[in-house]
Amino acid sequence: MASALRSAMLRRIRVPVTETLTLNGSKWNLFNNVRSMSSHDDHITKEEVIHRVLDVVKSFPKVDPSKVAPDVHFQKDLGLDSLDNVEIVMALEEEFKLEIPDKEADKIDSCTLAIEYIHNHPMAS
Amino acid sequence: MSFTLRSVKVAPNSASLEEARTRVFDFFRSACRSIPTVIDIYNLDDVVSPSQLRSSIASQIRKNSHITNPKVIDMLLFKGIEELNNVAEHAKQRHHIIGQYVVGTGGLVQDLGTKDQANSNFLKNFYEGNYF
Repeated sequence: MASALRSAMLRRIRVPVTETLTLNGSKWNLFNNVRSMSSHDDHITKEEVIHRVLDVVKSFPKVDPSKVAPDVHFQKDLGLDSLDNVEIVMALEEEFKLEIPDKEADKIDSCTLAIEYIHNHPMAS
Repeated sequence: MSFTLRSVKVAPNSASLEEARTRVFDFFRSACRSIPTVIDIYNLDDVVSPSQLRSSIASQIRKNSHITNPKVIDMLLFKGIEELNNVAEHAKQRHHIIGQYVVGTGGLVQDLGTKDQANSNFLKNFYEGNYF
C-alpha cells in the first residue's frame, strides 16, 4: 500500500532543479558554514539554560523559590522526594522539548547535572 | 472492548521492591509524556496546565507510597496503565478527566458547589482528602 503510494507520488512529482539549488537568491555553496535548515547551529547558551532550568525548578509548587540556586540538589537541599525528582525532570523535558532516556533521567538529581545535561544535548531548544 | 484488552499486557511480576519502584517511575514518565496528547484530545487547555496534570498524577501515585509489597505495587501499576490507556485512546469523556484529575487538585477549576461547606472538621477533611 505504502510502496504503491510512494511510487505513484514519485512518478507525479517534479522538482525544478534550478530552483532548489538557489537559496536566498545566491548559488548554494556546499562549504557554507551557515546551514540554514539545521537545528544544531542555533544552540542555546549556557546562561539561558541556567536561567530556564532555575525558572522551571522555582515554579514547582513544593519548592521554596528563594532556596533555588544553580548548584542545589533536589532531594538533599530542596526537601523533595524521588517522585518529585522525576516530576521536575519531566518538566524540564517539556520546557526544552527533549526526550531524556530513562537511564539518563535517573541520574539527574541536581540543578548542576540538569544544566550540564541540557547544555550538552544537541536537540535542546 | 477487545481493543482495550489487546493494548493491556501483563508484565511479569517485579522481583524486588526496587524493580517495582523503577517500574512506577517508568510509568509516571510515560504518563507525563502522554499529557500533551490528552490535553489535546479532551480540549483541556483552558482548564488545566500540563504541570498541574503532572502534579495530579504524582499525587495519585504518592497516595500509595506507603505500600512495600511488590505484588501490590504491580497490581496498582497494572490498574494505572489500564487507566492511562483508557484515557489516551479516548475511552473517556471530558468531564471524567476534569472530575478525576482537574477539579480540587489545585487546578484552575475549583469545586465550590452547593455541598456542605464543612461545618465539621471531619467533613472538611473528607472533602479535601477525597482527591488525594
